[in-house]
Amino acid sequence: MGYKIGIDVGGTFTDFLLTTPDGTNEIYKVLSTPDDPSIATMKGISEMADKRGLSTPDFLKQVDVIVHGTTVTTNATLTYTGVKTGLLTTEGVIDALEMRRGIREEQYNNRYKNAKPVVERYLRLPVKERIDWSGNVITPLDENQAKEQIEKFKREDVKAVAICFMHSYANDSHEKRVAELVKESLPNSYISVSSELLPSVRFYDRVSTTCLNAYVGPILERYLKALIKKLSDNDFEGILLIMASNGGVVSPENAMKRAAITLLSGPAGGPVAGTFYANAQNYNNCLIVDMGGTSFDASVVKDNKPTTTTTGDINRLRIALPMLNVVTIGAGGGSIGWIDEGGLLRMGPQSAGSKPGPVCYDLGGEEPTCTDADLILGYLDPDYFAGGRIKLNKPKAEKAIMEKIAKPLKYDLYEAAAGMYNVINVNMAAAVREVAVKEGVDPRDLPMIVAGGAGPNHACMIARELEIPVMIVPRESSILCAAGMLMSDLKHDFVQSYVTRMDMADVKKFKNYFVQMKEEGAKLLKSEGIPENNMKFIYQLDLRYVRQYHEVTIEVEEEDIFNADWDSIAKKFHPQHNRLFGYSLEDEGTPIEIINLRLIAVGQTDKPKFLKMEYKGESPENAFKNTRKVFLPVQQKFEEVNVFDALKLEFGNRIEGPAILEQDNTTTFVTPEYNVLVDMYGNYTIYLKDREEEVRKRIVNN
Amino acid sequence: MKIDKVLVSILRKRLKAITNEMSIALEKTTRSPILCEARDFVTGLYDRNGKMLEQTENLPILAFSLAPVCEYIVNYFRDEIYPGDVIFHNDVFSMGNQNNDVAVYKPIFYKDELVGWAACKGHQADIGGCVQGGYNPNATEVWQEALRIPPVKVYEKGKLRKDVWNLIFANIRLKIVEEDMKAEIGSCVVGERELLKLIDRYGVDVFEAHKEYLFDSTQKMMENEIRTIPNGVYYGEATGYYDGRNEGSSYTIRVKITVEDTKITFDYSDTDPQTPGFVNGTFTSSASATILTFLQMINPDIPHNDGMVRPINIIIPEGTVLNAKFPAATTYGNHLCPNNADAIMRALSPVIPDRVTAEWDELLCSLTTGIDPRKNEPYVDIGFMGLKGGSGAIKGCDGYDHIGMIDASGGVLDQDYEMFEHQTPHLLLKHEYWTDSGGAGQWRGGVGVITKFIIGSDNTKVVTFGDGDVEPAFGAHGGKPGTLNKIELTYPDGKVYKCKSKDLIENVPKGTIYYQEAGGGGGWGHPYKRDINAVLYDVRNGFVSIEKAKEDYGVVINPETLEVDFEQTMKIRNAKS
Repeated sequence: MGYKIGIDVGGTFTDFLLTTPDGTNEIYKVLSTPDDPSIATMKGISEMADKRGLSTPDFLKQVDVIVHGTTVTTNATLTYTGVKTGLLTTEGVIDALEMRRGIREEQYNNRYKNAKPVVERYLRLPVKERIDWSGNVITPLDENQAKEQIEKFKREDVKAVAICFMHSYANDSHEKRVAELVKESLPNSYISVSSELLPSVRFYDRVSTTCLNAYVGPILERYLKALIKKLSDNDFEGILLIMASNGGVVSPENAMKRAAITLLSGPAGGPVAGTFYANAQNYNNCLIVDMGGTSFDASVVKDNKPTTTTTGDINRLRIALPMLNVVTIGAGGGSIGWIDEGGLLRMGPQSAGSKPGPVCYDLGGEEPTCTDADLILGYLDPDYFAGGRIKLNKPKAEKAIMEKIAKPLKYDLYEAAAGMYNVINVNMAAAVREVAVKEGVDPRDLPMIVAGGAGPNHACMIARELEIPVMIVPRESSILCAAGMLMSDLKHDFVQSYVTRMDMADVKKFKNYFVQMKEEGAKLLKSEGIPENNMKFIYQLDLRYVRQYHEVTIEVEEEDIFNADWDSIAKKFHPQHNRLFGYSLEDEGTPIEIINLRLIAVGQTDKPKFLKMEYKGESPENAFKNTRKVFLPVQQKFEEVNVFDALKLEFGNRIEGPAILEQDNTTTFVTPEYNVLVDMYGNYTIYLKDREEEVRKRIVNN
Repeated sequence: MKIDKVLVSILRKRLKAITNEMSIALEKTTRSPILCEARDFVTGLYDRNGKMLEQTENLPILAFSLAPVCEYIVNYFRDEIYPGDVIFHNDVFSMGNQNNDVAVYKPIFYKDELVGWAACKGHQADIGGCVQGGYNPNATEVWQEALRIPPVKVYEKGKLRKDVWNLIFANIRLKIVEEDMKAEIGSCVVGERELLKLIDRYGVDVFEAHKEYLFDSTQKMMENEIRTIPNGVYYGEATGYYDGRNEGSSYTIRVKITVEDTKITFDYSDTDPQTPGFVNGTFTSSASATILTFLQMINPDIPHNDGMVRPINIIIPEGTVLNAKFPAATTYGNHLCPNNADAIMRALSPVIPDRVTAEWDELLCSLTTGIDPRKNEPYVDIGFMGLKGGSGAIKGCDGYDHIGMIDASGGVLDQDYEMFEHQTPHLLLKHEYWTDSGGAGQWRGGVGVITKFIIGSDNTKVVTFGDGDVEPAFGAHGGKPGTLNKIELTYPDGKVYKCKSKDLIENVPKGTIYYQEAGGGGGWGHPYKRDINAVLYDVRNGFVSIEKAKEDYGVVINPETLEVDFEQTMKIRNAKS
């Protein structure tokens, strides 16, 4: 067994986690190269090789697996730099894509524009054909007209074609035939067919997803082909896997075919890794927060599974493929503080980003940011930021906060900085609360896994706001997503709409759909080198009571599916509905309706091993660094606080808050309300002082 | 007490988070599509006196009636408000806005002291009266429209008053209304729990003092906004057509707006008298319309609390079409919002030209009900997708295409096409942007849509309510008007029936073609000033035809090459502008 590498391309940094056969890991961070992200990727790999005194090819020969998270599709969508895309759709509904069901998100803002569609109207062409709700053809496909439309695409030099017809989930024959016609006339175009990508009911969701897939498909293709070439030129013979938005990984070939599955893959590694760290302490549920330079992500894990959604958005455009449910807000180290018209202090969502960055970076930034406030409050050491690689200019930060925040509020410098710290923490707590409420969990019951460069500095106050008793800051917290990539299984989602009352379902049809999905899943996994005994299939149904609007996804046993055991399925649905919505209609005997059949094909991969440490007792004195003056937000005063070298802390070490734990890429601030205990993987568990006994039991006496 | 300004900022954010949480809870638990799909509801928190603390306003027209009712309830029960009480209310003659918008109020006690209220209000699928769903164009008095619920305790001191509960739901047709009212109570419980946590952390006195500071700072923001409008008295009027009973009838809303430094007064004293039918407003539905229209003319970032409404004074005499006298029918009242908004926009457009849009397409809505022959089950469908026309343009920005009436401002969603065909027996033929429907202008009015479907059940009932089929949305500052609304039925025998704007058509047979035009909004500024590339974009994408590009915008485009003929264009533009 050789090395495994997780690579997460972020906006500012490209993060790497290298795991070795003996269970140790190394963290690398390289500045991202947005014009060609593979440059940073290769640079990180060559740093790893250098460290070992090897050439890149000699090092790569020893690498078994590279899991790569890429945001090229995300960026292409956000900046509208995808390829010229055409849409062929049913006559009469060419505008569903652009209408977005008629929503304007900011109701009182008359200058708020509609989201720009990824396919302009003149490239959305109608085709004469029609299939009804039950899959019957009521207007046959007019092939000649379809050919004419494709000729128009040819003249317009369209690079990708999306095909989405009404009710194609119930009958895909017209889409299939038109896809053939496109292939004949435009052999080099990228073709995205709705019934292949997402055969599920709800037209807007499907047409939007299909068009996004076409729009970014060629971009991902170009990028991955170039990356594969670079790797193989450097003698890489291992397996390359690509992170998907659903928290799974797929082969590059499958990612290219279904490019849209990578659209929100950026934060998807976080929840996967969070699950691992929570599990290490026997928690089955947890919250995960990740605070970086510009954004803050919050998500929930229930029953060891990150929660998913099929109503995600990118740039206000719908993606209905299953993806992890991550709530993102504009709050990060770069968030700018400002005074609104009513004279109140606000933080973000504008960010100074990495250019010009916070004032204290001394790269030309003039607006006071969260990082500037953290510096003034003593949470950051001006001489040990990024391990001392970036020297922070404290006087400049002081001046900016004084001028822009303190003076208008008639506050002193420290009150102003503390205000900025508090306000951004409340904003982040609101995001955590939002995702918790949506998933129906109470944040007070769950531990919170903390990640991101800025996260551990703010975690205690977010937790206090939400009354969260326990937090876990992983040793790899600054590169949590990269770590998550190495822990992900191969995962393919299949869906097939079949709208029917359950008691009236055609059992043969129902079973057949599942058989087909399972065969296709097995085929894909096999192509990715997964042996049969490592394949797992998860069966799900989207169900609701008749006449309801929102359906509930429930997991069902394989035998219940193939026996079409409606009673057993109903028995699962009622309590789940009750749990989510506070009532069930079991007693009323309300019939249940099936909307979608879902199958997840999972290919289990070898997970990296994390080295277990030996118990070294309570005393953290080996890690003690020094003390410095730090502002305590609840007590509202400065105090001399102990500072520790976080990487020197060992299993069993216990620290009383207040304290600061420093690592190269992140600083953890423990407020006086909390203590810290280090678990056997070296992760820092932060807990309310009265939870000592329970936490100790979990971590030490286990 | 020393005010901690950061705590004020935190308070603002926390209150908003709580009302959002109440809203999510309600959306996830209701069953009627009007609530969980179209989100026709609002949630809010109020202080001990019933003053607005914060709201989540999915449908703005409902939003500004919660606080007045809360104050009414505080006075109504006075010292008989107890922990564990739950109060229902819909009565339009005690500050309610529409009979179907049924509210729940829950007093919040901290250690036996009343500290605030949680409330929410949603459009219920039925509330008794003559016609299921409530829209009854033939009603002349409130009892024909609905069960009146003045403030009534359904829980007292935590105990369900079973008799009262059963009395209410014995008068309502649909079982889901009972479920959805339970969901509203649940949403208030969420609000109560979270507000108590907040007060528990900071203490009642700190909460009260900082709340007042928040109100004051919001008031200051609002006053600064008003100060940017020149002092003066401004007049505007708008006419609605057909009162649902008398052909050719109309009613005019007249507003006199007085701006004095930091105060603004909307005086509707010269508005036409109430109509004999259900085309009448209530004070709160009309005042809500005034506030939401004005909010679109100021900084959208302003917090929604009592401080925001303090500088706004609204006078609507009883007996006018905007504030009908007891016991008038009023179900149409929310839909007077577009007319009311037009009057205000006409008054202020010349004064603050860069902040007022041209007119929006007015609402013309339909509802179809019948028995779905595929399942032999009844269905009801509100034609959300068909009703949504374009918004008026504003200086610097085109109107929003297919947004719908101003009282929702894009908060209500279309049905999904495929779900529409599963849930109704209809077959959708067309739902697309309507070329040339947006009023021409330097900034173009938002375009409307054309909707066409085949009705799939026999004996179908079609109800229409709305306006905008007589006068198109007006343009502003040289911009041209939008287009008219229209609903038409073509029967299988070829006979065509043009629906009135308030109509009830029965026995519509299967195979009838339903056709609707939802008009575009008005344009802003002279169309000759429109950027030539913007015109070309619109022509290329079919928002504007080649003919209209020349006729309205003075831009000549070659139909073969789709290139602009600059010479011809400049000739036309220079000659006429």
